[in-house]
Amino acid sequence: MGSFMQRTTGTLIIPVGVFAVVWALAAIDGASLFSSGDSLLILARTTAVTMLTTMALAINLNSGRFDFSLGAMALASSTIGAHIAITYGGGFPAMAAITLVAGALLGAFSGFLYTTLRISPLVSSLGVTLLYEGFAFTITGGANISFTQYPELVSFGKSLTAMIAVIIVALFAVYMVFDRSRFGSDYRSLITGQSAAVSAGVKEKGNAIRTYAVSGALMGMVGLIQASSKGLIEAGSINFSTIGIMFTAFLPMFVGGYIGRFSNDKLGYLLGALSMSVIGLGYSALRMTSAEQSLITALLLVAFLIFLSNEERVTRWWRRMKAGKGAAPSEPTSLESVGAGAR
Amino acid sequence: MHDLNPTDVSKETDVPVDTRNDATAKAADKAESTAKAEAKAASKARRSKLFADLAPLIGLAVLAIAFVVVGTSSGTNMSYALETLINQSVIIVIIATGAIFIFAMGSFDISLGASTLVAAMVAGLVHNATGSLWLMLGAAVLTAVVTSLISATLAAVFNLPVFVTTVAMLSVLGAVASALVQTTGGAQIRVDRSFAREYDTLTVKLIVAAVFIALCVFLFNYTRLGRVEKLIGGNPITAKLTGVSMKLTAIAAFGIAGLGVGLGAFLTVLRTPTLTVTSASDIGMNILVAMVFGGMVISGGPRSRIYAAIIGGISMALLNQTMAIMLQGMAGGAGIAQMVRAVLFLAVVWLAASGFRTKVLPR
Amino acid sequence: MRITRKTVAGTAAAVGTTLVLAACSSTASPEASGSPDADGDAAALESVKMCVLVADVTSSEALSFRDYYTQYVASEFPVEFVYSDELADAEAEKTAMEGFIANNCEAVISFASADRPTQLDMAEDAGIYYAVATGALSEEEYETFKDYEYYVGAIGPDVMTEYQAGYDMAQYFIGEGDTSFGIFGGGIPYYLEMHIYRAAGMLAALAEDPTTSYGGATEMGDILGKIYADGTINIGDFESDVYELTGYLETWDFDAAWQASMADMVGASPDAILAVGTGNAILGSAVDGTGIQIGDIDAYTEDNLAAMENGTLGYLAGKFTSINGPIFAATYSAVVGEPYRTEDGSAFALSQGYWTATSAEEFQEIIDADNVETPVYDADTLTPFIAQGATFDEFADFVSKYTFADLAG
Repeated sequence: MGSFMQRTTGTLIIPVGVFAVVWALAAIDGASLFSSGDSLLILARTTAVTMLTTMALAINLNSGRFDFSLGAMALASSTIGAHIAITYGGGFPAMAAITLVAGALLGAFSGFLYTTLRISPLVSSLGVTLLYEGFAFTITGGANISFTQYPELVSFGKSLTAMIAVIIVALFAVYMVFDRSRFGSDYRSLITGQSAAVSAGVKEKGNAIRTYAVSGALMGMVGLIQASSKGLIEAGSINFSTIGIMFTAFLPMFVGGYIGRFSNDKLGYLLGALSMSVIGLGYSALRMTSAEQSLITALLLVAFLIFLSNEERVTRWWRRMKAGKGAAPSEPTSLESVGAGAR
Repeated sequence: MHDLNPTDVSKETDVPVDTRNDATAKAADKAESTAKAEAKAASKARRSKLFADLAPLIGLAVLAIAFVVVGTSSGTNMSYALETLINQSVIIVIIATGAIFIFAMGSFDISLGASTLVAAMVAGLVHNATGSLWLMLGAAVLTAVVTSLISATLAAVFNLPVFVTTVAMLSVLGAVASALVQTTGGAQIRVDRSFAREYDTLTVKLIVAAVFIALCVFLFNYTRLGRVEKLIGGNPITAKLTGVSMKLTAIAAFGIAGLGVGLGAFLTVLRTPTLTVTSASDIGMNILVAMVFGGMVISGGPRSRIYAAIIGGISMALLNQTMAIMLQGMAGGAGIAQMVRAVLFLAVVWLAASGFRTKVLPR
Repeated sequence: MRITRKTVAGTAAAVGTTLVLAACSSTASPEASGSPDADGDAAALESVKMCVLVADVTSSEALSFRDYYTQYVASEFPVEFVYSDELADAEAEKTAMEGFIANNCEAVISFASADRPTQLDMAEDAGIYYAVATGALSEEEYETFKDYEYYVGAIGPDVMTEYQAGYDMAQYFIGEGDTSFGIFGGGIPYYLEMHIYRAAGMLAALAEDPTTSYGGATEMGDILGKIYADGTINIGDFESDVYELTGYLETWDFDAAWQASMADMVGASPDAILAVGTGNAILGSAVDGTGIQIGDIDAYTEDNLAAMENGTLGYLAGKFTSINGPIFAATYSAVVGEPYRTEDGSAFALSQGYWTATSAEEFQEIIDADNVETPVYDADTLTPFIAQGATFDEFADFVSKYTFADLAG
């Protein structure tokens, strides 16, 4: 609860703060964050990709289900979509439709495997990753799929309007499905009390499969955007080389969880993704090397987590400082553990 | 009720003896059949559990037979292949055995490959500077243990979920590896070839593996540490209530895992004396796959087995070699090999977990 | 169908049995060994199993090399090719070599260079022949290994050829009157030797101008030293009154920072972007319609032809498809007992270079002259050098004539 001011501050403090700091650092260095005509497009595109990945990760992780196969789903679905569109025609609309449907089906199959085999979701996702990576490799023989001869397929990734539309539609869709529907309330009841919900008649298997399907569709969209913006799909990625994308979603996910306390966690994922993209622009403006970038991102992740896990201590200390002599410190705020599924 | 003397009753009440026997007999029958059903269920559960425990071993046997059959029918040099099997699996087996201490308590470490690389690089640099085998070994172990302890301590001191700390360590260690490589002014850290060839022998590998595995088996199965870990992994709340120190246990577990990583790094330098930033990159995931193939429960708990790494590591090496023989020359063969690996992986895990189905989905 | 333990166990057994049956049947039928054609010489040659180490399996260059060997060479000569998976580091190379040795390869042709010394030692110990394709050993390595009995030799662009390729590319654009450049450094942060040498060549060409230097360096050795020390190219260190380095991009990260750097480089509107490799694949769609030209060192593919036709690609230096014909010939000869050795009995180190195209017409000529169906190094051209008694000098002379004019002109 809390006032409108409190909620707005809580929601916006991170993205606004990040933007301000990065802008200042770039300015000190004499560089500009928005240095080229494409900067807004890049910002929108990377925000879209990160937001979609974060949502895909979070909807399962909130239920204690770790999913390593996000990257593999994006790869396999975009490979299928591109292969069919190039071989049989149909242009971008065909590629997009096939990619999204393929993503949802691949996700549903992953969920089906998990619920039928009844093994740890983390382990099941490892098997699924190997399977989907191998599948994409087999379709193309390991070769890259190149779009340079099909310019109509790459215009999507270069359109600012399209990227903004993707963000809005995905945000709205995920919000409606998970916060405003029966499916969503079943989903939440399974999180808070798994045994109780199942005993009360919630169909856990169906709910899990549908959640995985949504995750797959989101990653299908990620695959589509990446294929369309890069102009190529590296279908020869095997041996778990696709799991890297999952790690880019951690920090936005924790940021989203934090913001979710003040407004809505889905909005939080968007703002978290936006913050990461702004930081990315900052890395480029400050001309940092790849190693420096990943180091700083890792340190930011740890620092934010330290803050989250120790908010209680910090708040108590703060109140003690404010109280000074005489007045008793008020009750510390309760600590929500974010991403508790990842032990 | 059972005290009734039938003769007395028959005299007093004129009720036929058979009916009275029926009631007690029926009750006795029912009790007996319930007991039988319970015994049957218990023995079925025991058989399930036995089967689940044996599944990884059965898998290993099947893979070994397949390897021998496929190898001999395609004219493979079997003695050389057997030696390479050991060469290829020993590093993973050592590191994974140490990692079991982390996973048994329900924790997770994704940065093991990166720590292996950094430890190997430091070891290589130390050897290049001193020429000493023992200093190289010491450097590898020390670096790995320190790296491991940093993750555990950070998590303990700041109350962070350990997994995320290891994700951050993955990036940090990657940056450290890049920095170490740059100290040589080139792309690689190279250790003297003849030195490496001298010690890259089956004897050295088997001794290192045997000593470390024996230590781990002892610690895991015969000391309090192993029991405490399984308790924490299976029921952390109970563990806390019994007064077990979660943080100290975590530090001990990460320390042992670090020792395993250090020994693995030492053997890595001997096996491939040229180290680049991409070396040891698939160790992290291969350990997970090996443990799972060996029947280890990733979420830890009482069903954790210290032998899972050995069984799984060898199974994986057998599978990889067999697939390589079968798919040689086939375009896209690597993709098919990976899909087969995925199917077998899921099958083995499913079998190993088969005795322990719960009413709700596992998490 | 309910999934029970029996079903899974049965499936696993079925999979296992299928694998075994597949193995048995695949060894029963003849592999892709040569069908002796009308050429009587080929019929006299024995069947050889050659295994190939590859670090790159997905680029069009790698695929065309593979097609040349597995589709053309294997159908003209009695040879079976077995390819490794993509080898990312020394450990993968060692594992692949172990597999090759266990599976009775008679020779190894290596495109993977993470740890050549280990590969050479393993081959020597196992008694199988080893050859380096499209590459070369360093001087130090050559001195160490040249007298190994089973080391055949190396044919390919050595580092000087790579340097020259970058130099020639930059010179071409300078000759066209360009003065502002962007550089795509590819794998420089990963210390990919050929990319570093190509980039050094580019900078050296620019530094021919007296007012130009890179961090004070104007000669090859100094420029190389600086790039190795920095692990990247710092455009701030580039000084010139005539030329401008307006942007620099490296690696293939595709994340936000990388995309912003690429947008910056393109947005600065240089006259040309000099790429050490994969230039058109990475930058083609970004520079489309901007008037910026790309200079690239890559393969002769349909995509690159289209780019040259529409003016995006201004210069391409590339390895032609059948460039690995001679090393195959030398390796085969070694296996059947007629190795080529230099005068003092050592393994050889022969140089081959690139073909260049600066217009769509030249590009088309190149593709027409050399492709998998009709390569320039075809059976007729190679046969005289495969165990037919040719001397080393004749072979070396043959290899040295690798230019387009020599082979197809």
